[in-house]
Amino acid sequence: MDTLLSGQLLFAALVSGSLYALVALGLNLVYGTLRLLNIAHGDLVMIGAYTAFGAFSLFHLPPVISVFLAAAVCAGLGWAVYEGLFRRLLANPTLAKRVEANSLILFYGISVILQNVVAMTFTASSRGYQYLDTVITWGGVSMTGNRLLTLIVASAVCFGTLLFLRHTLFGWSLRAVIERREAAQVVGVNLNRVQLITICAGFAAAGVAGTLVSMTEQITPFMGFPFTIVAFVVIIVGGLGNIGAGVLAGFCLGLVETYGIALTSPGYRSILIYGLFVAVLLIRPEGVFSKAVRS
Amino acid sequence: MTDTMLHVAGLNAGYGAVQVLHDIAFDVARGGVTTLIGANGAGKTTIMKVLAGLLAPMSGTVTFDGADLLRLASHDRVNGGVSLIPEGRMVFPGMSVEQNLRLGAIAPAARAGHDEALQDVFRRFPKLKERRAQLAGLLSGGEQQMLALGRGLMARPRLILMDEPTLGLAPVMVKQVFATIAELRAAGFTILLAEQNATVALELADRAYLLENGRIVQAGTGPELLGSDDVRRAYLGM
Ligand SMILES: Nc1ncnc2c1ncn2[C@@H]1O[C@H](COP(=O)(O)OP(=O)(O)OP(=O)(O)O)[C@@H](O)[C@H]1O
Ligand SMILES: [Mg+2]
Repeated sequence: MDTLLSGQLLFAALVSGSLYALVALGLNLVYGTLRLLNIAHGDLVMIGAYTAFGAFSLFHLPPVISVFLAAAVCAGLGWAVYEGLFRRLLANPTLAKRVEANSLILFYGISVILQNVVAMTFTASSRGYQYLDTVITWGGVSMTGNRLLTLIVASAVCFGTLLFLRHTLFGWSLRAVIERREAAQVVGVNLNRVQLITICAGFAAAGVAGTLVSMTEQITPFMGFPFTIVAFVVIIVGGLGNIGAGVLAGFCLGLVETYGIALTSPGYRSILIYGLFVAVLLIRPEGVFSKAVRS
Repeated sequence: MTDTMLHVAGLNAGYGAVQVLHDIAFDVARGGVTTLIGANGAGKTTIMKVLAGLLAPMSGTVTFDGADLLRLASHDRVNGGVSLIPEGRMVFPGMSVEQNLRLGAIAPAARAGHDEALQDVFRRFPKLKERRAQLAGLLSGGEQQMLALGRGLMARPRLILMDEPTLGLAPVMVKQVFATIAELRAAGFTILLAEQNATVALELADRAYLLENGRIVQAGTGPELLGSDDVRRAYLGM
């Protein structure tokens, strides 16, 4: 009982929750605006992790700097995927209708390519490096600096994005595309520009998440898939395309997972995550936090 | 001499392999109301979609103030002064009335005069001012139509395309929408109006075109079409 009420457990829950929220944020942005099911999203987390690892081991760049590099690399991949593949598919109404289903296959291919390219470059063995891993104690809670940094950066990116969506005209136009694509075009939103920027930003968010993960965990070329799954669970629990609810759902999943494991055992991790997912699908398929406002 | 603002010629369009519009040609004169009337499925919305850049035509020309409109992307058409008030209103339900309106001014050309335009819309539709903080999805159908009109005006258009603005509205709201259209014409806007409500639309129209199965079958002034036997038989039930 004491452990359940400890700040220690809460801190652990917030760290994983913020990371889930960040990973899911990118997926949700891309799904919401482009209706693409990016099952390579976790592999972008992996690309971000390897970018940070490479920068650290080759150039001694700390993650606080390589995080920008990782974001740029992933944004560049977003640009390439959009310009090379989806721009034309989305512009043609007949193809666009099928793009959601087809995107699953296309991204599966991208996932396989990314994993193999990294495996060939860095080998398949797991990698890691040490950064800010000394334990500090703060208000009775012991934590490593890298976990605190994870919590701060992931939360800042998530809440910064939400503020941006709420208070800028570009943010509004992005929400307009999510709510009603054709109406957004009618009012004069530059659809192509919004789509390109969103896919780059969504991919970059995964790159940032990967950098954070690389500070605390061993990384492999095949580490991405669990992140893809978690991200889909989070955005379905929150409501597809509902960005704010997705962030909230990410933190909730972190809490459910951490406290659930504390009450049971680590072996129950998957059961907790899938259990939450199935429960939401059965009880509120439109998402726990989605407001039912439709005209 | 009437001064032509929009000129459409030889327009063919459809969805996939199905052709819906056949050799459509009409003109919209500056500073008046031009109306397209026709039954369900005649092709009114399809014409509007082509004009707004939501649907690429198979062939044909559309010039707006002498420039080729078809080469422009939809957002460039809005920026150039062509604004669609779409069928079914298409407001952004999860955003407030004011956000909907401000999004209407997202085109670079409209952004500068943004606050002024908002005050102008609020003056025209006081109801929207009262409800400015409310979610658009919670407005009544008539209020949503006002919002769609206001949002279109925020773009500071020179040509307003209105696709069945009275669809599904109660008679008192229909009256109000037509009164608004008359006001907008008096204020110097040029309007292309697609309507099934043929009597009122024709009374208001400076020029009218009758659309049947994707073809223009009659053209004339509003009163001319009102007096035409075909129109009376087919659309006015007389
Ligand atoms: N997205 C679409 N895909 C395929 N066919 C369509 C589509 N939209 C409309 N059509 C067809 O095109 C024809 C013209 O439709 P359109 O919507 O332009 O008519 P309308 O005059 O606006 O009718 P209404 O008064 O009912 O709004 C109809 O036969 C319709 O079935
Ligand atoms: Mg129609």
